[in-house]
Amino acid sequence: MGLSTAAGLAVWFAAAGVHAQQSGHATNFTTTEYYPDQKHVKSILSGSEAFSRPDQTLVVKQLKLQTFDPEGKPGMVLTAPECIYDEKHGTASSPGSLQVQNSVGTFRAEGQGFLWRQTNNFLTISNDVHTLIEDRAKANLRS
Amino acid sequence: MKRFCLIIIGTAVSGMACAQPNSTGTLSTPRGPTLISSEHGDFDLAGREAIYRGHVRVDDPQMKLACEQLIADVPLTGGHVNHIVAETNVVIDFMDDKGQTNHATGEKAVYVYSEQGGVTNETMTLMGNPQLDNAQGTLTGDVIVWDRQNNHLTASNQKMIFHQNFNGAAAGGNSPAPAATPATPATPAAAAKATNAPPETMESTNPTAGPSPQP
Repeated sequence: MGLSTAAGLAVWFAAAGVHAQQSGHATNFTTTEYYPDQKHVKSILSGSEAFSRPDQTLVVKQLKLQTFDPEGKPGMVLTAPECIYDEKHGTASSPGSLQVQNSVGTFRAEGQGFLWRQTNNFLTISNDVHTLIEDRAKANLRS
Repeated sequence: MKRFCLIIIGTAVSGMACAQPNSTGTLSTPRGPTLISSEHGDFDLAGREAIYRGHVRVDDPQMKLACEQLIADVPLTGGHVNHIVAETNVVIDFMDDKGQTNHATGEKAVYVYSEQGGVTNETMTLMGNPQLDNAQGTLTGDVIVWDRQNNHLTASNQKMIFHQNFNGAAAGGNSPAPAATPATPATPAAAAKATNAPPETMESTNPTAGPSPQP
């Protein structure tokens, strides 16, 4: 799926195609997904820390997920205190809180419990969804 | 308090000035944020579309909307949503530029916003047994279109039931101060003249045939 993964301090379990069999820990975890052309970044998933789990998933702390369109323009930014990242199935999920916003912050949504599917870049927020949309002109005044 | 109802049955699409055009241009100026709340949300981040389900509520400076499902495009950079589809038990409450409360219901509402050649178009189309109530009366039709830029309503196959009384006070009681409003017509013909509809299309009915009478 055009995926490459790197971790800042402990790349030994976060490299592309990782199959972590043992418990591991990395800080400044980052994994990048590319469009099929392998030139343009599709998404960047990062976290302050990542822990591997026996089921080959990762616990990512301070999640930040950035998406981009095929032309490289920034799309949405997701942030969450914690999530489970399943690289094999291309999902990130958590029963906890999530915030998502567009690149300029004029569209902001939050809720409880989420599932992000990497393959189609689809996000489901399970409960208590609140979205705030600000007028463009007003947002420009603030920036 | 005596009151009567007038029923207008139109067969063609026609404009009806239930609300005066907004000459102040306030709709085109920056407005406050819009809040959407729901039980559940799906976001197609690639297609930039949000689908809200379950007790959806929209709180906008100009209106409040409730429905069971709402689909909205997600603005990439700007803050304006260009397309919204609200479905199932749609209820919209909004104020016109006179501060008059309007209550609209229907099975589906479609909001479209566009800017082309310096011209802004902003409409809310209500369908599926649409109905709009305000102090002046009740409007129904196949489709009711609210031009939000001009604060103007149109309806196809429209049917309008006017609420009026003879003692000078509009039913509903939320019209502007009496000095700022024209006197209430004393006869059905005068009431017809006060509307955009041709007088011959209006007829008075038994008061009990109208919507809920005022106490």
